[in-house]
Amino acid sequence: MHRILAAIVALFALATPAGAQGSATPDLSGFWINQYTPDLSTVLGKQPPFTEFGAELWRTVDTAKDPTAICLPVGPSRGFTAPFPFILVQGDKAISIMFEYQAIWRAIYLDGRAHPDDLADYPYFMGHSLGRWEGDTLVVDTQGIDERSWLDTAGHEHSARLRLTERFKKTGPDTIQWTVTYDDPIYFTRPWSIERTFTRGKPGDRVLPYTCNENNKDVEHLRPNQPNLQYQHVPEKKPGG
Amino acid sequence: MKRGLAALLTAIALLASGISIAAHHSFAAQYDITKPITLKGAVTRLEWANPHVYFYMDVTDAAGKPANWAVEGMAPNVLYRAGWRKDSVKVADLVTVNGYLARDGSKLVNLQSALLADGRNLFVGQQPAPKGR
Repeated sequence: MHRILAAIVALFALATPAGAQGSATPDLSGFWINQYTPDLSTVLGKQPPFTEFGAELWRTVDTAKDPTAICLPVGPSRGFTAPFPFILVQGDKAISIMFEYQAIWRAIYLDGRAHPDDLADYPYFMGHSLGRWEGDTLVVDTQGIDERSWLDTAGHEHSARLRLTERFKKTGPDTIQWTVTYDDPIYFTRPWSIERTFTRGKPGDRVLPYTCNENNKDVEHLRPNQPNLQYQHVPEKKPGG
Repeated sequence: MKRGLAALLTAIALLASGISIAAHHSFAAQYDITKPITLKGAVTRLEWANPHVYFYMDVTDAAGKPANWAVEGMAPNVLYRAGWRKDSVKVADLVTVNGYLARDGSKLVNLQSALLADGRNLFVGQQPAPKGR
């Protein structure tokens, strides 16, 4: 816990207040409420464009093996789709996101650095994130995401080659449109995207405690569960084909 | 107002989703949707803790044999935001629970409704405001 705090404090030290920026960059700071999305395919309206490999993994996924059931970190996708809020603190060199779910954080570096050369050898459960502003939109490139995390509760998985591109755009004083693109050539034949909306909390809202292994009695009761065994993969038709 | 509404809708969607037990893991890996059960008895203990609230109750079966059952509810943070508190239920409160049995055969159910003697549906929906407020 102290390490997490130290990391957050260090990140704040890197950052300067967003108001000091001078440009018209919007301030995304605040307490935000997710749209709970346990199954990304419900937003997509269909299953994502699986490769043969990805389809077979989806068909045979065992939801008893959900990494969060044993309190492994949720990963960057589920952090923004869980039924728990987050606090975003924006600076001009970095943005920190503190998720209530699992009391975990993401750091988004805005200082022009590159991803580390050894990222594949030392992945993060929440990924390594680089951000840049495209006009009024924050664009975040996340790589080095530990392949043990899942994309959602339903059991959509990913490989170590997953690359997330997230676009954060304020659509009003109290709403952020979050567009996330999942690019993983091992699991998907092409990148695919969904949109969700973050809604600002009320003044005085606070994050509440979440210590996953405080009382995680569920794990001993989990039994194998493969809900998709009837799934039949139909590859997408190629354009013009 | 819009913000409050969004939070409320989220809470309602979560609490009304029935077989959802929040984001922690899938329902069907732990509980059997084909095995609903009703339990009546007195609360013996509450665990207001992450990742899910548990309470325990003494239940006497049709043959007169007593047993202590565990009832798993939602995440405490979701319940807190819906107005529920640690003292929303007390030891010895009588409660009628409808839920689904754990697949492993243990004396554990997933809470769908839990009616207290005063009419409140414990840890389901929005906590009714106390009288006189």
